[in-house]
Amino acid sequence: MEGASTRGVLSHLSLLEVQARSRGSQVPQQPSRVKELKAKVEALTSQRDQLKAELQIHKKLQKLRAPVDGEDEEMDVDSESSELFHLMARHSELTDLLHAHNLIGGYDAITTNRGKSMCFSLATQYEGVYLDTYNLELNLKPNVRISRHNIPPFIPLNSLAEQSDLQTDVRAFLATVSQHLNAFAGRRQQLKLVKEQHKSVEVMESNLLCSILVLMFTVPKKKTPLLCMLEYTDHTRCLPTQVHLNCEDELLPDSPKWKKNCSLLMEVPVHRALTAIKKASDIV
Amino acid sequence: PHSGVVKRRSKSQSYRRSIRTCFGVASGLGLTPALTARRMNTSRKAPRSQNITEKVKPEHLELLVKTEWQLSYVTPLYQFRHTQLKSYSRQLSAFIAAEKQEGLAVEVGGLQNTFKVSFSVLQGLAETSDDPETVLIQVQSKPMFARQEDPPKTVWCGWLSCINGNPEYLQSLPKDFTCLPLFCSKGAEDLSSLVKSWLQRTFDCCFGPLDINQTTLQWLAALWTNCHMETNIQNLKMIWTLPVLPPLQVTYTVDSDDVLDLWRSTRESSAEKSREAEDEVCIDFSEVTRFMQGLMSHFYRHFRVDLSAGELNQVSSALGSAKVNGKIKISSSRYLISIFSLLTECALLKMPI
Amino acid sequence: MDNSAKHLLQRLVRRIPASMLKSTLDKWERLTAEKRKSLDFTQSKWIITQELVALCEKSELTVKHITELEMIYITENPNQGMWHTFQLVEPEDDAHSVELMQFKEQFKSHLRELQRNVSVKIKKHTDQAVWIRVAWGDGLSSPNHLKATYVVLYLQTPYVFVNALSSKHKPLLLQALTLSTRHQQIKAANLSGQKLTALRDLLMRQYQQVFPTKYPSPLAESDQSISKLRVEKVQAEASANRHRMAGETFGDGMLPALQSAVFKLETKFKDPTNEAMTQRDEPFICSVKFSSSNLLESLRHCASSGIASTPVTPMLSSIPLKGRNYFVITDNVLTA
Repeated sequence: MEGASTRGVLSHLSLLEVQARSRGSQVPQQPSRVKELKAKVEALTSQRDQLKAELQIHKKLQKLRAPVDGEDEEMDVDSESSELFHLMARHSELTDLLHAHNLIGGYDAITTNRGKSMCFSLATQYEGVYLDTYNLELNLKPNVRISRHNIPPFIPLNSLAEQSDLQTDVRAFLATVSQHLNAFAGRRQQLKLVKEQHKSVEVMESNLLCSILVLMFTVPKKKTPLLCMLEYTDHTRCLPTQVHLNCEDELLPDSPKWKKNCSLLMEVPVHRALTAIKKASDIV
Repeated sequence: PHSGVVKRRSKSQSYRRSIRTCFGVASGLGLTPALTARRMNTSRKAPRSQNITEKVKPEHLELLVKTEWQLSYVTPLYQFRHTQLKSYSRQLSAFIAAEKQEGLAVEVGGLQNTFKVSFSVLQGLAETSDDPETVLIQVQSKPMFARQEDPPKTVWCGWLSCINGNPEYLQSLPKDFTCLPLFCSKGAEDLSSLVKSWLQRTFDCCFGPLDINQTTLQWLAALWTNCHMETNIQNLKMIWTLPVLPPLQVTYTVDSDDVLDLWRSTRESSAEKSREAEDEVCIDFSEVTRFMQGLMSHFYRHFRVDLSAGELNQVSSALGSAKVNGKIKISSSRYLISIFSLLTECALLKMPI
Repeated sequence: MDNSAKHLLQRLVRRIPASMLKSTLDKWERLTAEKRKSLDFTQSKWIITQELVALCEKSELTVKHITELEMIYITENPNQGMWHTFQLVEPEDDAHSVELMQFKEQFKSHLRELQRNVSVKIKKHTDQAVWIRVAWGDGLSSPNHLKATYVVLYLQTPYVFVNALSSKHKPLLLQALTLSTRHQQIKAANLSGQKLTALRDLLMRQYQQVFPTKYPSPLAESDQSISKLRVEKVQAEASANRHRMAGETFGDGMLPALQSAVFKLETKFKDPTNEAMTQRDEPFICSVKFSSSNLLESLRHCASSGIASTPVTPMLSSIPLKGRNYFVITDNVLTA
């Protein structure tokens, strides 16, 4: 579990670094934009530093908890005030606990309304990054019924409740809902990353559920526009079920190179697939 | 253009004078019969459908009904004569013309034609021999670019009345005073204040806004509901405002048959008693309170919201509507007298002693 | 430019507040920057309108272009007129794959099949909302652009918001919507109001709802300690409890500015102190309308101040819970 959470922070960190770097390299720029970006870099740097410090504390805690397998690493926490250190330690401890809790299939559940109902909170995460948390309150008596929630209407909560046996197996129902929510959050996060990391790719079309994504690529040399439509029919997954290409050059979609790219898009999250395709110079 | 009749006195002077003449002569204890009577009636007769079309001229009736009137109270008028109305018409015309053109050096002759005032007696509203006849004031004007043959339009209208005024109070007034405590007006605000200020100067009286308070609105709700026995009121609508942020308005509309059933049920026992005692049905305020409580408890049972924490702002039915800010509209002439009797009572109560 | 286009433009300019005229025209992009610059926005609206008509005439703009301007204005200022909500139900198997291009094509062809002479314009807004403008023509008459219907929907989401739809055109529009979004049915969602944004936020759950959680937020923790120091009374506890329940029922912070809710009640009159009415068989028929500049915030204050008892009755909590503001209540049943 530590591994998972560490990877989360690390990947988040590296992402921040990538962002900072990619933004820094966009020269020449207008003076005001430069200023704006500088401020952003500063903000990101401080955020990175904070995360680094957190990470260090986290490692230290690990060491404290398991003194046997002692890995020597110098800690530099002198600059931190002890109060902040304390808070951060507590924070990471709690995050750990929560993560472990969710990993073993538990939900943050609380009994409300004098035992008549239960409130579950379903956290979503993608690639180790925590995203939105949704809540669901169930009335238990006389029979189990959804009383209130903050889940968006494009997640078909009622039909999910009908499909799984809500009366006897609340856990299965929650698992399905959680799956839908995590997949949605993951797709939305991917779309966000595509927009952030791949400025040369134009997002032509998407929907609130992030189940349809139409992208416009530019194929180098002739600067041919290539339309790519990703369809995520399985709403419990973050990967598309169908990839469709459309191009003036009718031969291009059927070329072995693009066939390979299509299967890549089916297997790897879109923002990472695009990085690979870009690296191969198949798109600008 | 001012005629000599317009007396120029300062407001404070006239105030003092009124009070002196009115009550100064009364006993040192200050408990005149008029004063002791000045409490809201806790019991009143149920309104009966009255055909007043024979008593009141149709053009007057048309004016009274279906107009929303702004209410004010007026203290008794000093040396007002029902026989002098023609002269008052001339004086007020001149006064308005002068005030309207203040500071403008324009020829006076033509100006008087722009606003033409007429005072007249509106017969048929006075109920008892103590009630002075109602006085109607109308201001007519020709639009700036109207053609010669176009009839002048009524731009402002108001009336002073006393309907079923408290006889004890009316009889206690010194001879030179005429009590027409209820002033209803409609039209431009500036004309209202001009007319008021002329009346104030000429008859040594004073005006004040007459709001229709919670108690009166509750009375109206009950009285109108009672009318449903004879005339269809369609439904009873009440509007409350609750003191929360932002303010919450609650419009509660009840079907007329159902609201009448509720009203009957709150009156059942007492109604039987009074029917035995006399011909005319009397309504007690305790019944009105019970009736309102019934309505509020039905509301509370559903919404668990306490309406009594708020303020009743408006009551309306097919017979008319009344708002807390002193605006009233009567839609049927049949219960006009009863409603204006209630308002006369409110005006008498509201007057400063 | 023909007379109808001129008339449409004049009417539209009259609707747009003077302060917004310039920015709206800028977004339109049908007049060159040079032509736009020649307009003096400090003049009276009447003169601006005259000049604008002349400019549009010179640029040879048509009704189609004027409707674009109208759409820009309405999209940016959606909180006017009365919006009614409908809900698409029973999706077909392929409902999830309807994308914008396909929807546009399908909607237009379905509607034209049902009604000749309709003018349809569809545009996607930045927040993923699909905006549809329909001008209806009857039989042989050309579309009436002065009374256009507006429809807002989010693909793959069940709710549809409709403005200025006559009862005559309602079945046509609803059928076209149902077919082109690949659903089997559409029904009234019993939510309406002037503020589209409020209706949308309420149904999309885009406001801060409060749920009990095991881990109190740091803010709540500090709040507790302060109130404990301040007043150690049962009353304070009761008040805190009321605040919590009010928050859990209606939400926290700024709430969607719903302006009214209507209840038609046909329930028995029950009052232990009034035997005659309680024994009556017929229901007591009445209607209750709650109105405020922000109804949910008003109701939350009612609950937190004690004017409304807590826990809040299901009648009132149904407004945010079900995303509805029109209810018909009969005994023991809460139906549309």
